[in-house]
Amino acid sequence: MSIPRRRRALAILALALALTLGAAACGGSSGDGDKSTAQSGPRTLTIWLMTGSAPPAVVDAVNAEWKKAHPNDTVKVELQQWNNVTTKLDAAIAGSNPPDVVELGNTLVSKYAAAGALQDLTASRGQFENNQAWLQSLTESCTMDGKLVCAPYLAGSRAVIYRKSMFAKAGISKAPASIQELRADAQKLMSSFGSDKRFSAFYFPGKYWYAALPFVWDHGGEIAVQDGGKWRGALDSAEAQAGLAELKALVDCCSRADKQGDELKQDQAFAQGHIAMIVANGWEKGVILDKKEGNPKLEKDLAAFPLPSRTSGQTAPVFLGGSDLGIAAKSKNQDLALDWVKLLAGTNFQTQMATVGGVIPNTTTLLDLHADDPYLSVFDATAKNSRFTPTSPNWANVEAANVLPDMLVSIFTGRASIPDATKQASNQITDVLNTGS
Amino acid sequence: MSSTRVRKTAPVVRPATQLAGRTAARPRPRSRRLRPLVPYALLAPALLVLAGVLGFPLYRLVSLSFQQYGLKELFAGKGTFIGLRNYRDILSDGFFWTVVARTVVFAAVCVGLTMALGTLVALLLRNLGRPMRVLVTAGLVAAWAMPTLTAVSIWQWLFDFEFGLVNWLLTRLGVDGYTQHNWFDQPLQGFAVIVVVVVWAALPFVAITLHAGLTQVPAELEEAARVDGAGAVQVFRHITFPVLKPIFLILATLSTIWDFKVFTQIWVLLNQRPSREYFLLGIWSYSESFGVTRYGKGAAIAVVMVLLLMLLVSFYVRQMLKAVGP
Repeated sequence: MSIPRRRRALAILALALALTLGAAACGGSSGDGDKSTAQSGPRTLTIWLMTGSAPPAVVDAVNAEWKKAHPNDTVKVELQQWNNVTTKLDAAIAGSNPPDVVELGNTLVSKYAAAGALQDLTASRGQFENNQAWLQSLTESCTMDGKLVCAPYLAGSRAVIYRKSMFAKAGISKAPASIQELRADAQKLMSSFGSDKRFSAFYFPGKYWYAALPFVWDHGGEIAVQDGGKWRGALDSAEAQAGLAELKALVDCCSRADKQGDELKQDQAFAQGHIAMIVANGWEKGVILDKKEGNPKLEKDLAAFPLPSRTSGQTAPVFLGGSDLGIAAKSKNQDLALDWVKLLAGTNFQTQMATVGGVIPNTTTLLDLHADDPYLSVFDATAKNSRFTPTSPNWANVEAANVLPDMLVSIFTGRASIPDATKQASNQITDVLNTGS
Repeated sequence: MSSTRVRKTAPVVRPATQLAGRTAARPRPRSRRLRPLVPYALLAPALLVLAGVLGFPLYRLVSLSFQQYGLKELFAGKGTFIGLRNYRDILSDGFFWTVVARTVVFAAVCVGLTMALGTLVALLLRNLGRPMRVLVTAGLVAAWAMPTLTAVSIWQWLFDFEFGLVNWLLTRLGVDGYTQHNWFDQPLQGFAVIVVVVVWAALPFVAITLHAGLTQVPAELEEAARVDGAGAVQVFRHITFPVLKPIFLILATLSTIWDFKVFTQIWVLLNQRPSREYFLLGIWSYSESFGVTRYGKGAAIAVVMVLLLMLLVSFYVRQMLKAVGP
């Protein structure tokens, strides 16, 4: 009796061992398997674009054009959300099977370039159309130690989008010429429409740091300054604090937006009809008028003006946003990827991006496309007085740590005074910019 | 009380194994020598799996915490050894102690509330009639069965700034100032919401387990106490609680472990971008690792967190061993 039982126990033990070892063996082998994939046969090109960057029609056209040259291969475009995109990028781009092409916010490029994650495109630069006329700031964001690590894709700078009918009803006849006038107008709007508990004259979600920077810069403040090779956070300077105080006054009187919220849903909120002004990119008009998420009826009622300076008649410096297209260094489809990027960055599709998408194209040769458009030309004009974040490879980590959004939330909610909040943010910025990862 | 119960069952177990051994084997010296090894052999596969899925990541975590490891290192697949610098950085950061204190207080409040409410629900279940008991149990199981992410997303919507049901309801009921009220503006109020969500999810397990335990409390004992004139509170303190003490200890231990490392609730409720006022150790570790790509420092925070948790839990384990006896 004992022998069969022991045998059975031993058999179970052996089986269990075999299974665990087998499982471990499988786990071990699958990792290296894909490396040996030969460069023959049909291949799949994976592209990561950000939501809201290129209209689906443009992406489809690029894919169709690319397919003509590569009939046997397929292309797969995946849209990524801006929220926490770096976490996803970090993991994907360091892995053995990264997306071949990634759209990178222009403030994020240096981080990935410094880590060696982006393919050096210096030798291929000549193959790109308009490469000598590329927008200077985008080209700079793509240049690392003299090497080209990505291709400029699109730029965007923000202005104020407003409702003409609401301005008229509040008795405002022209766009404000200074920030003080803007606040006075906002207060007029609040008294005309304020009985609606959801109404915001100047809708400003608390974490919207891109739109807060113009106030800092307009008062002569800086995010960070370089001191003998070392970075120092500068948001606690008197000038920066004055700018933030100006913004806080505006938010206190005239915004009922979520003080903890971000700007990702501001267009949908605007379309609901309880908002008179938002700070937005030119292309966001398309989201506001979207049939599904927005309200197409507002088409005739929308107009834009540049965010004014505290000096009457001037505009405030705005943040120049934008995106670049990088090719992952570990991509196994370098040639396919380069062809795809060349198309989207080239004249034909950049023209479509500018006309259909409403973005600022990557080359100065196409900048007059918006000249006749009273709406889009406003945004192009603001780009002329634009600024950028500190040019440190560690800047992306300041963004990832939410330093600026946290500071703004503390200020707007009154959790911290402006001096305390800016002091803390500045220390954090100094720390991250100098120590990095 | 409990120790006598355990001692009564223990002797029953021991002869049973001896008996099995005696009938099983004709006197064969070789197999007898090997017999003590059999349990270990049987444990081996499970241990091997545990070593693989738990031991190895733990080893990686600890080794990572001694390295400078950022995106560059991730890309190259190799970090630089920097000894204890990550730990020195953390321990000398004033923020660390704030986060530790916050985490401990948060866990204590959650565990306390979970245990207290769980006990009350368990007692309620015992005193309910059958139909109501089935209904309440079904409700508990439903809450328990819901995946955390789904549940928290619904809670997030309930407390939403613009479209939230809670704000709508309060406004409807005539409470002023809750139109577009942000529950997370002030951390104290925000944490109150988070505690509600955490306790809500933890309650069913505690309540159902305690209810099962309550059915094992001898009715005669409680009756005798009542005959002797003990009130409900006294019966609970002197009879029910001591009998159930091992179960209470296990539940408290598990709750402490769970509530100490709360992550999903805060992460989702605050839109994946919690501000520093809402950092607990787990969130901080994640944000250092995957937000700012300082994987080494993030790992060091995680190691400190595990050590702290072990310290806390060792207290319960000691109590448990005492309660169960040698």
